[in-house]
Amino acid sequence: MKISVHLNFIKRTLPWQEPLAPLCEDKGCRLEFVCGIIQPLLCVMTVVSYNVAAYAESRLIPEEIQFHGFMTQGFFHSSNNNVYGQSDDGISPGLTEIGLNMNYQPLDRLRFAAQGLYRRAGDVDTGSVRLDYGLADLTLFDYDSGKIGLRGGRIKIPFGLYNETRDVAFTHPTILLPQGIYFDRSRSLLLSADGGSFYAEQRTDFGDFNFKFNVGMPPHDFDEIKTVVLGTRDAHGRFKTTPAIATQLKYELNGGEVVFAVSYMNLDFSYDPARGERLRQSESNIQPLLFSAQYNGEKFTLTGEYEYSWNTFGNFAPRGKFVTESWYVEGSYRILPKLQATVRYDTISMDKDDKNGDGAVALGFPRHVAFAQDWVFGLRWDITPAWMVRADYSRVHGTAWLPQADNPDPNKTKQDWDLYGLQLSFKF
Amino acid sequence: MQKPGNKKLVAYHILAILFCFAANLPIVTATEVVVNKSVPAADYSKVDIRAIFTMQKRFWLNNKQIKVYTLSDSSPLHKDFVKNILNMFPHQIRMVWDRMTFSGTGIAPIELDSEQEMMDKIANTPDSIGYLSQKPNNENIRSFEFH
Repeated sequence: MKISVHLNFIKRTLPWQEPLAPLCEDKGCRLEFVCGIIQPLLCVMTVVSYNVAAYAESRLIPEEIQFHGFMTQGFFHSSNNNVYGQSDDGISPGLTEIGLNMNYQPLDRLRFAAQGLYRRAGDVDTGSVRLDYGLADLTLFDYDSGKIGLRGGRIKIPFGLYNETRDVAFTHPTILLPQGIYFDRSRSLLLSADGGSFYAEQRTDFGDFNFKFNVGMPPHDFDEIKTVVLGTRDAHGRFKTTPAIATQLKYELNGGEVVFAVSYMNLDFSYDPARGERLRQSESNIQPLLFSAQYNGEKFTLTGEYEYSWNTFGNFAPRGKFVTESWYVEGSYRILPKLQATVRYDTISMDKDDKNGDGAVALGFPRHVAFAQDWVFGLRWDITPAWMVRADYSRVHGTAWLPQADNPDPNKTKQDWDLYGLQLSFKF
Repeated sequence: MQKPGNKKLVAYHILAILFCFAANLPIVTATEVVVNKSVPAADYSKVDIRAIFTMQKRFWLNNKQIKVYTLSDSSPLHKDFVKNILNMFPHQIRMVWDRMTFSGTGIAPIELDSEQEMMDKIANTPDSIGYLSQKPNNENIRSFEFH
């Protein structure tokens, strides 16, 4: 009975489902595969939204407990290089993200929060569930113009304007975040860390200040990080991290009309090679410093971030030390309240003293792994407060942020390439 | 002798001064910020209201936790409240709430389905705050005074 109600509901609310069916029959096998994924996904999304709405209606859950979640499905097509699976010469049903979180406040000054995240992204992440964050938040002092507190557990890393909600499509304007700063290929380092956080908020007549200081163990033993830090995926030794520091000072005027932030991280790794391995025992260190600025108007949003990162890679760079520089400028305009167009220029130089990639060539890599410059054009339509769809086009010069897992042989990658993305997202 | 352009300039000045006066007049809006009668009266400002609805200010003066209620982003009353009382844009406050909700750093307000539900909630929930499209007509609800 309940199931049939759901099915009827889906039929009524998914007008795009029926036109999809003949499309799946007509086109090739690849598209059929994509349709095969999108249809059940849409069903799941709709059923969940229906159930949540029903729950909210009945108010079965006390107000001290809140549930929220999101589901996102992205599709990619690219020329030459692959992103989120085999997107070259086809459509990769590349990126599926499902998050569910819970907030529970048993006492006035004590709160628990946790979020589970399912993610399947190309060949980098072939489908897994992880605890994205799980923390206890204790307010130590709460006074008229601010508060001070501690968080403990698994905590999201504050870095720039978007890192804490990097997997939540609704919180940023384009499908892919600026890759020069929010690398997807080393995302596991930037997600969350197990440890503690001190925070302080101060409201003044001339704006609000927000400070966070986090110490925690980032996850380790990820192939992508090995690739970045050691220069190869083919490492069989022990890869270790020590507690990392992440800190951020944010200033907001008029409830976020103007935002300035400075973020800094200090990450240490060490590598013990396996017996007979070519790689040496080595220590590596990454220290990114990031400046962020944003203006949020009624129709126009202008964002810029600049990152300067000191790197010491014991095994990788010929000189061992180098500085990575990246920045982007992004303008968004709300043509209609629900329709937003975005243009972004994003650039990264892996080694700011070797922008042409001579060092990469010396190591046998193509020159273009050392840099990337992207022009991104995006259109976002917020259909309802709960549903959003958007499309991006990127023209990329260089492969600095291209995930190696999707492109195992760097010498087969192309310097200039295009990326098209389509994304559907739901939240409650 | 005056140049002809100066008259225009004078007119601009008068207009500018008039605009300055207009900006200082109380904003004419139907949206009424309301609280449960249990909420202590005090000298609240617009800054306090914004801090309450962005979930930064969490306690009343009597140390009771503030219970914040809102309507859907698509509700005209919500849009009017955010724009004219909070002096923010709906997309801006949504971003504040989403960032807290999905990063574990805070709790968003509880979203209600209708103005009638808002009225019932505020009337029956001690320490609550919300907004209505007119002055409350209920002994448990009072208008929230601020400057």
